[in-house]
Amino acid sequence: MKYFKDIWTSLYTIFVGLKITGFHLFEKKVTMQYPDLVHPIKDNLIPLNSRNRIEVDMNRCDGCGSCARACPVNCIEVDLVKVTPGDDIPLFYDGKPRKTWVTKYNLDFAKCCFCSLCIEACPTQANRMTQEFEYAEYDRNNLLYMMSPLTPEEAEVKKKMWADYSAAKKKADAEAKAAAEAKAAAEAKANEADKQ
Amino acid sequence: MSEIKTFEIDFGKVHSERMRLNVGPQHPSTHGVLRLEVELEGEIVTEVVPHIGYLHRCFEKHAENMTYPQVIPYIDRMDYIAAMNNELPYVMGMEKLLDIKVNERIEYIRVICAELNRIANHQLAVATFGLDSGAFTPFLFLFRDREMIITLFERLSGGRLLYNYFWIGGLMHEVPPNFEEDCRAIIKQVRATNAETMNLLIYNKIFIERTANVGILPADVAVNFACSGPVIRGSGVPYDIRKTEPYSIYDRFDFNVCVGRGEVGTVGDCWDRNIVRMEEMEESCKIIEQALEQMPKEPCDVREFVPKRIKPPKGEFYSKAENPKGELGFYIISDGGLKPTRVRSRATSFVNLSVLPEISKGYMVADLIMILGSLDIVLGEIDR
Repeated sequence: MKYFKDIWTSLYTIFVGLKITGFHLFEKKVTMQYPDLVHPIKDNLIPLNSRNRIEVDMNRCDGCGSCARACPVNCIEVDLVKVTPGDDIPLFYDGKPRKTWVTKYNLDFAKCCFCSLCIEACPTQANRMTQEFEYAEYDRNNLLYMMSPLTPEEAEVKKKMWADYSAAKKKADAEAKAAAEAKAAAEAKANEADKQ
Repeated sequence: MSEIKTFEIDFGKVHSERMRLNVGPQHPSTHGVLRLEVELEGEIVTEVVPHIGYLHRCFEKHAENMTYPQVIPYIDRMDYIAAMNNELPYVMGMEKLLDIKVNERIEYIRVICAELNRIANHQLAVATFGLDSGAFTPFLFLFRDREMIITLFERLSGGRLLYNYFWIGGLMHEVPPNFEEDCRAIIKQVRATNAETMNLLIYNKIFIERTANVGILPADVAVNFACSGPVIRGSGVPYDIRKTEPYSIYDRFDFNVCVGRGEVGTVGDCWDRNIVRMEEMEESCKIIEQALEQMPKEPCDVREFVPKRIKPPKGEFYSKAENPKGELGFYIISDGGLKPTRVRSRATSFVNLSVLPEISKGYMVADLIMILGSLDIVLGEIDR
């Protein structure tokens, strides 16, 4: 008896399932033929605050390195050098003259974990997450984005300029200091001579 | 033509020996990179040894070199199916250590997010469990609904699976304006699909035959192995941290703790563990509905209490919460600096997996896959 009952319940439950799936045949499709038919961005399916590729506005970046310190996977490397007085001074985003050259801003997207902690850390809102998500590359090295406005050669020139300037300034300062000390010593000597 | 050879076979001396078989690490039924070393007597499993560590990412060592907010993205990657629930115990514990009291609305948003993520996790657990047993159609329906929850989370935080949404002392963003309607739409859809799944999968005779009376986990064994979540509740033990030691604001909601009753088989079999997940989805829907009604409607500054520099005082704490898979705890030792001295996590799946060798002895190989599926493990959490 149980044998026949089991056969009956098996058949019955199978047909219950077939009925449910049968009704789903006539529902609206939920899948998208992604690259061919509907592009998700056009359909506004990617939210505005979604976390995809990072975009850095180098006009705003002053190279403070807050993002590099906030990054949990160390995918950002920032280096900066001060602007030498007399050099052609670039303007910052708010129209003020820039104080620093960002000689290196390397963003390694192969390492990025898309936590957006760097976005929150930036004091000048230079970097932001975009809706761009199609950036696959055949070569892993292409995922290393070098965002610095200066080429490495230019960066070397700027670094050397600042190094020369600071060395010259240091030398001049030292000379001035030595001269002032000598002068002060001479004055002191003269004063002592006057007293005597 | 060569001559016909004849063999003398002595059927009286059939030699039998136990076979050792490797299941995984690259196998769709092991739910990740888990290697099971199985000893077989014919088709009967006599011994199972799980080998883990293929997905080890040094979470605990990494956390020692991170500042406290930087640990949260790593916690997301532990149990990547339910990342919101993972962040909750860590964030709550840090707030206790720093003595921060977040406002009501943030607590409610956290509870709603955690419960939505619990639904998403159980949907995936039931779907893949059906897939293990050979039912492909419920998998598609449940994944379609899970997509709704994930899309909502993407609008909240920006990430689809790894959110980094709960911050120490607040949230990353305020919720979008039509959050409440979206939540109600999700609840409606979840209930409709659950009713369908009940008929399509759970009460299907073939599914019952595959899962009932298979992998019976008695209540005392479950307690001895420190199982938690649906695994222990399926054995009839009503242990739910949301009820036994209410954290956050869970004492304000009215919900039941679902336990296995042995409806079609014995208490604690695979079917019971699965039905507990189905019923918990309904309980989560109830919690979300109550939270949406009680939640303060005025948007607030969700970063009001987020400290600029997180430098907790010297001390140590253990904070735990009810993950979809069970009890997830973090033991954090602070030496008063910017970085934790030690972050130890009590991973749920790791503890639940340890019961597998105990309960899978004497079943067939096909049943072993069902038992493993009913434990609902995530290898990202086991190996960390």
